[in-house]
Amino acid sequence: MTPQNEITIRLKGVSKSFGETRALRSVDFEARAGEVHAIVGENGSGKSTMAKIMSGVLLPDQGDVEILGRRPRNPIEACDAGLATIFQEVLVADEASILDNLYVGRDRLLGLKQSRADRVGEAAALMQRFAGEPVDLGAQVGSLPLSMKQWIVIARAILRRPKILILDESSAALDLAATVRLHEAINDLRNAGSTILIVTHRIAELVRIADRATILRDGEVVGMIGKQDITEENLLAMMTPADRHVAVSKEVVRLPRKGAVPPVIQADTLRLSAGSPDFSFSIEPGQIVGITGLDGQGHDAFVRVLAGIAAPASGMPKVRTPAGVEVLDCLAAAEKLGVAYVSGDRKREGIFPDQSIFENLAIGAYSQNLSSLGIIRRSSLGQMFQQEVSRFRIKIGRPSNKITSLSGGNQQKILIGRAFARRPKVIVLNDPARGVDLGTKRDLYAELRLFADQGGAVIYLSSEIEEFLGFADRVDVFVGNTIFRSLKGNMLDEDEILAAMFGQDRSQHVSFVAKDVAS
Amino acid sequence: MNRAANRRVLAHYGYLAVPLGLFIVLTILAAMRSPNLFTGTGLAGAVIVAAPLILCTLALTPIVMVGRGSVDLSIGPLMGFVNVTLVAWLTQGGFTHPLAIFAWAMGLGAAFQLLQALVILYVRVAPIIVSLSSYLVLTGVNLLIMPRAGGLAPDWMMAWGAGRSLLSPVTFVVIAALLLWAVFWRSTLHGHVRLTGADERMAYTSGVATEKVRIGAHLLGGVFAGLAAVCYTGLIASGDPTQGANYTLQAVTALVLGGASLSGGRGGAVGSVLGALNMFLVANLLATFHFEMISGAATKLAFGLILVVSLLANALTANRMSTR
Amino acid sequence: MVAIPTGSTASKGTGGMLADNFRENRSIFVGISLLILLVVFGALTVSGFLSVQNARSILLLAAFLGLAALGQTLVALLGGLDLSIPFVIGSANILLPKLMNNGLPPSLAIILIVLLGIAAGCANGLLSFRLQGQALIMSLGVGFAVQGAAEIYTSLNSAFGGTSFAPVPKWLTNLAAFNGKTFGLPIPPVVVIWLVLTVTLIWVMRNTWFGRGVYALGGSRIAAARLRISELRTWVTVHGISGGMAALTGVLLLGFSGGGFVGVGDPYLFSTVAAVVIGGTSLLGGSGGYGATVLGALVLTVLTSLLVGFGLGYAGQQAVIGLIIVPMVAIYARIPQIRNQI
Repeated sequence: MTPQNEITIRLKGVSKSFGETRALRSVDFEARAGEVHAIVGENGSGKSTMAKIMSGVLLPDQGDVEILGRRPRNPIEACDAGLATIFQEVLVADEASILDNLYVGRDRLLGLKQSRADRVGEAAALMQRFAGEPVDLGAQVGSLPLSMKQWIVIARAILRRPKILILDESSAALDLAATVRLHEAINDLRNAGSTILIVTHRIAELVRIADRATILRDGEVVGMIGKQDITEENLLAMMTPADRHVAVSKEVVRLPRKGAVPPVIQADTLRLSAGSPDFSFSIEPGQIVGITGLDGQGHDAFVRVLAGIAAPASGMPKVRTPAGVEVLDCLAAAEKLGVAYVSGDRKREGIFPDQSIFENLAIGAYSQNLSSLGIIRRSSLGQMFQQEVSRFRIKIGRPSNKITSLSGGNQQKILIGRAFARRPKVIVLNDPARGVDLGTKRDLYAELRLFADQGGAVIYLSSEIEEFLGFADRVDVFVGNTIFRSLKGNMLDEDEILAAMFGQDRSQHVSFVAKDVAS
Repeated sequence: MNRAANRRVLAHYGYLAVPLGLFIVLTILAAMRSPNLFTGTGLAGAVIVAAPLILCTLALTPIVMVGRGSVDLSIGPLMGFVNVTLVAWLTQGGFTHPLAIFAWAMGLGAAFQLLQALVILYVRVAPIIVSLSSYLVLTGVNLLIMPRAGGLAPDWMMAWGAGRSLLSPVTFVVIAALLLWAVFWRSTLHGHVRLTGADERMAYTSGVATEKVRIGAHLLGGVFAGLAAVCYTGLIASGDPTQGANYTLQAVTALVLGGASLSGGRGGAVGSVLGALNMFLVANLLATFHFEMISGAATKLAFGLILVVSLLANALTANRMSTR
Repeated sequence: MVAIPTGSTASKGTGGMLADNFRENRSIFVGISLLILLVVFGALTVSGFLSVQNARSILLLAAFLGLAALGQTLVALLGGLDLSIPFVIGSANILLPKLMNNGLPPSLAIILIVLLGIAAGCANGLLSFRLQGQALIMSLGVGFAVQGAAEIYTSLNSAFGGTSFAPVPKWLTNLAAFNGKTFGLPIPPVVVIWLVLTVTLIWVMRNTWFGRGVYALGGSRIAAARLRISELRTWVTVHGISGGMAALTGVLLLGFSGGGFVGVGDPYLFSTVAAVVIGGTSLLGGSGGYGATVLGALVLTVLTSLLVGFGLGYAGQQAVIGLIIVPMVAIYARIPQIRNQI
């Protein structure tokens, strides 16, 4: 067993670049046995890259990673050294049983298997503790719900009794009660002398559990604080640059609103899934509505419904047009009614990596510039392209360069340009600022504000509360597949949103002062 | 609990239901149409004719199981390659000792598969393309080594094709291959191959040596391909450079018919052997209809339709299992 | 790739522009250089390589390959492969004489056969949709079934299996023979047809919703779905085109050879894939195009002609082409390292 306070993992001058983007710049870091150490930063701050480097998945361009006296160069060596990682993505084999999934990689390639009976015993106990009920270890994983898959991934790491455990945003699919059970397991490991690294952007979670925290910003370590200093205020202040909060409002002069405007989108008694509670939602022209919630609380599904990508269980949203009120029930309807969608998951549902910058932007306008034979009228597209590029001040080389030659932020601007090229009345953005630099964010907020002031409506999903401040007119917080609270005016501040995300009402005063859960 | 256990068995081995059912139906049909298949000599002949296909299918199994859509299209030409080198080089050169023949066959098969695995891993080209390329190269090389069917198998093999007894050498080769599979199945490599095929990223991050596992799967497939070539040489008692394409198609069809998933993670010896037997029975049944001139076309049509239907059936059962 | 509006925001030196141009059209540069290299090499080493005779035969054979590989290119742009092409070619090749013997006028028979090819392709597309990695095996099965059926149909009441004969109309022979003439010019009309189709297809791929949709789907299925590009419709259409073009190639090959033979398509199983790959269309989908495949078909045909000049038989040619495929794919479509997929 590793003695307490011994340094178990040490990074020295670690740098890593992906093409143009510098994910990590000369990072120094260390963690000790018997501590829960949080690595905090906004999306795109490089914390996930750091986790992957520590677990041997990625190799640093420069610098040195030392784990329990070894220098692993791949996950196999890292596992041998006593490290286990729970990755952000839930990696399971659907075609295999739970037991196989739990013990993957535990047998040596040439060697004897651990006896099945031993495994069944310890695995059954752990899974029951996590899931709260007996689990059939022979069941195929493919048919299980996401939360169970998440438990499998967590249990797989804990069953290794790792000396170092890395959790990269690992409680995404777990509800609050489950998160508590996870924290208990983490505490047990800590008390047994392991190092636990929690990589996250969700402050509230680690305020309760971390002994120390290292803060990353733009790929650099900006500070390390001890338990007594881990408060939301401190963390937020260190994660975000000081000038963030005045990001938008000063640049744009708000037009006076004239009386009551009828909503452009309205949904009554909308149910996201068959068993969930119903709720209503509406947005007026000129409004920016923020949507947020903890992962898996339905806000993501909701914006997809508004964009016409997914269908709700009941209560289709309706769009007001000059011709009357029409139902928004599919993508075709969304396009016809002028609802555009921008995803922050650029890689998966945004860019076409092999295509040019021009093509990636213009493809949004093709469907509105078609002759009856399906031939694209190109005459107006060049002008449209220039207009969008200058509107968002996108730094591009030649328009015929591949989209992948741009930085993440500029790619995102192109995608938003694609949405604007459709001349929408409503624009739905699903976490568009993911992995985007501050300057881009600012341009984005300003443009969206301008769009709203000219009579457009903006629905903006984000998991980062700070994004809404000084920007959104209203924030709808989702808990349990319904709008739990709708905050506006002077109620719109960080504490209120945070409290609502955790399902607490404003009447109760909430504090996230660190409690020593270990004792 | 009993019901849960039943369901579990169904989930793990449910994919065998289709090939097993088909096997029973085909066996009954074959018994009706050609009863002498089930006499001693009939069965002996059946084993000898079916052995190369069974072993080719078995050779494909670990390679397909390890994932990345790596259906080895070159399996037939590889068998042909070992066959023509056995006849044109070894036998001509006087190396006819059984040990030399078996070592050459298995060694050459394994070496070629090792090469393919290394190209897949380090040149990082999709396995299907690598196997396509191998297919072309081997088909060409086979014809260069032996421009037309001919030559003679080693003397001790000459009688294999005639085999009147069920306990012929070919039977023992097949049994030995199945035993080898059993050893593989009991080993830890099997689990690694299955889980790498099911989700390579999961396996890699969990500390599975996925590269070594892929190489292992290919080596094993190569050994089976070598054994297939030995049986094939015994069957035709000579060398034939032209049958590669046929065997590739039949083996892939047999594999799919046996319920393996071509995208990896699912499959096994039982399914593959059943699939190969079903292919044999179908060919046998078709032969009883005396199509004469169109028999080749009828076989083509039948195999094509079987491949289409079993692919769809596999896709449907896979869907049903994952949505349950 | 697209017609680009002027006025780029960043200024770049000529060198930078050239480098950009090269990166974008790398496959075209590689293809043309390879072609020039092969021609020069052939001219220096094989006597008569640069003759009009040889050029004409190369163009003719490249035209057949190019027409057969048209559908393969489109399917590859979606990230698939169509292995049914050779079987459809063979089926069309034996069906045409049979239908003409049955009394159908040649032009009607050809139209019927091309329609059947399109139907077979659409069936292939429908059946293989959503099968992902197994789609190409499905196309193999469909191909076998189609060819088996065609062979059985032509063999009925005939003394031969797998071959069929009928007087081939003169115009069809002229269309596809070495000494065929286009409006009096000594170029086989097939070559001209190929050229026209190439120009049309390249234009269609650039300037229609269908064409842009193929590229979009090949690049990112989900992003394309968000733009309401129907994956099913595109997938089936592309396979239908592939089937139709294969049938057309089979028909033209009858004009070339004069007699129907079911195995006439067999070389096209891999040569269509090779032409696509050598041209530089990524088999992972989304990048490349038919212009590249045309170059690939030319390179492949010139190479074959060169190998024949060196006295290599069919077997040797196959082996050499097989050896080229892996390095060519490695240039354009390497799979990312597993480290970078997590």
